Amino acid sequence: MKNPIVSLVSDRRALLKGAAAIGALQIASPFVVPVRAADNIKMGMVDPLTGVYAAPAGNEVMGAKLAVDQINAKGGILGRQVELLVEDSANDVGTGVQKARKLIERDNVNFIIGDVNSGIAAAIAQVTAEKKVLHVVSGGHTDTITGKDCHWNVYRVCNTTRMEANSVSDLLYNKYGKKWHFITPDYAFGHTLYDACAANLKKRGGTVTGNELTPLGTTDFSAYLIKARAAQPDVLLLLVQGSDMINCLKQIVQFGLDKQIHVAGTQQELESLAGLPPEARIGIWMFEWYWKQPGVPHVAEFVAEIRKRNGGQVPTARHWFGYTSAMTFALVANQQKSLDAIKLAQALDDFELPPDVKLQPNKVYYRKGDHQLMTSAFIGEALNKGKDDPEDLFRVDSVVPGDKTAPPVADTGCTIKWPA
Amino acid sequence: MTQLLLFNVTNGLIIGAFYVLMALGLSLILNLSNVINFAHGGFLVIGGYIAYTITPYVGFWGALLIAPPITALIGLAVERTLIRPLYGRDPLYSLLLTFGLAFIIEDGTRFIWGAQGKPVTVPAFLAKPISYDFFFITGYRLFMVATVVFAVALLFVLLRYTRLGMRIRAGTLDLETVSALGINVRILRSLNFAVGIFLAGLSGVLAAGQLGLEPTMGTGLLMPSFIAIIVGGVGSLTGTLLGGLLIGVASGLTAMYFPAASEAIMYVLMAVVLLVRPRGLLGEEGMMT
Repeated sequence: MKNPIVSLVSDRRALLKGAAAIGALQIASPFVVPVRAADNIKMGMVDPLTGVYAAPAGNEVMGAKLAVDQINAKGGILGRQVELLVEDSANDVGTGVQKARKLIERDNVNFIIGDVNSGIAAAIAQVTAEKKVLHVVSGGHTDTITGKDCHWNVYRVCNTTRMEANSVSDLLYNKYGKKWHFITPDYAFGHTLYDACAANLKKRGGTVTGNELTPLGTTDFSAYLIKARAAQPDVLLLLVQGSDMINCLKQIVQFGLDKQIHVAGTQQELESLAGLPPEARIGIWMFEWYWKQPGVPHVAEFVAEIRKRNGGQVPTARHWFGYTSAMTFALVANQQKSLDAIKLAQALDDFELPPDVKLQPNKVYYRKGDHQLMTSAFIGEALNKGKDDPEDLFRVDSVVPGDKTAPPVADTGCTIKWPA
Repeated sequence: MTQLLLFNVTNGLIIGAFYVLMALGLSLILNLSNVINFAHGGFLVIGGYIAYTITPYVGFWGALLIAPPITALIGLAVERTLIRPLYGRDPLYSLLLTFGLAFIIEDGTRFIWGAQGKPVTVPAFLAKPISYDFFFITGYRLFMVATVVFAVALLFVLLRYTRLGMRIRAGTLDLETVSALGINVRILRSLNFAVGIFLAGLSGVLAAGQLGLEPTMGTGLLMPSFIAIIVGGVGSLTGTLLGGLLIGVASGLTAMYFPAASEAIMYVLMAVVLLVRPRGLLGEEGMMT
């Protein structure tokens, strides 16, 4: 009988046809194609709607859609209605770049938002800089985007990895101990986050007992955990995200490691905590935005609006990222009465977000030197079960302003080069 | 150091046992029907989500019994409507179909249950390590291995001692002759496909207890299963069993010395086996079966 695998490989023509068909799928139509009017303002959004980051990406898109609806209800941008064109980067750098090019060259978008994946966000930033399109990175955290690879047209809403590391390093060192072991995702985000945490630890006199670089999408962490326990650290720091975070935390608790070593990390997300059984919701973390902020203006309205669109569920930091990214374009364009990318990018230097967009107590602004949003870190501890609300899975102990966690511009490696 | 080595070999065998369960289902379908089922991971996800949905009503044990047969029924429907018309054609057709089906299942799962992961809690007495030293051997992982051993034993009994099993094995060797002897090959293929998908469904329920349940979870588990088949030798179920355990141990040991390569080592192992023994460890030369 014919071996299908051998026959497949030997039939080169058929294989090429198959590959071409799969390739064509990557550049198919956008997910959201609303009725288009010729004079509409177009915002393009590239996010990994499929793959391991589908949940945070979907939430970013939902937040951006809410912003667009609110912008249109208030008269749009320069009196023109706004439409959002969403493309799936499929958590793949090549696909993300292809989709960004398509949005810019074929759909003629005025602005670009994206991506959750740091590697894709950095790659898209190259494209938007080349095409001179104003770009807000909604959720890719790696330092270089607003560091050594910064661009005049690229601003970022979410924290840098260094900001995340700075927000919790002191607390973890003082409360848990000076020997840290890391579980790090093996790509741009993980590498810079690890570098930042390790540098902070060494500065304080601590030691790194090991760093387990794990492939993105790892399902079984047991081998790494065996190694981590053998190293006898004080703290096991999880830098993984998404489903990797869920799988890792779940296995840690099943192995009873949380009873032997302190388990903590930097960035934690509501999407991950919600995907965990109650017993695995543990540890000290930082949230980049949290939905429960009693007394902070406009937060309750935002939560109510998202609940309406999200099957009753509360917004996560990702909703806020998408919302703030889209709102940024409308605020600056309406202020400058222009769509010129250079003019708008210059106006965003030290641009402060109003209370109904920043949705947090501290001052929030795009820093002039590196285009990084100085947004707060919500530091606290994961909760097994919400007290008043089943979705209240995090206790916020302090809200630290962005300019306290961000390194000085001079240390970021960013030098903005404006076009002539 | 020796202790760490021993830990990792034991841990690798546990991980490998899980790959075996997935790979045996894949192997069954590939051997008899020449279908390279890229949607196998999707069926695993369906099994996991069905278990998640019915657990509040029937409990974890009820879900473990009910979800795999339901998944098998869904698999049967897919085989009848989509895959059957492609039998006899170039394997590329069914490969492309199941490749597309995998995306449809992933997005369908996301549409029905949402993109956000779902928590699945296993019975408390299983979610504990058996001892302080052997912390990585939890009751649940032991239960998983026991279930895999039971399922594999049952499968081998089915194939060796039942009329259906005999026909499947004969069909694997020469389907045309089996057909000429008056055996309904269509039904044989359907039942064989259903058994394969049953194993995927069972893997899904077991995985949901240990990992986060989310639409993409099948993807990460599918490739090791394919590699297990190739390493063990296409056509040999014993080879698949050996292949699954081997890549589990190789992956575990690599994680100890060079964590970043723990995934790549499976592919390296496959390449080495293909170079040294192209038919796989227990595959027979010149035959798929």
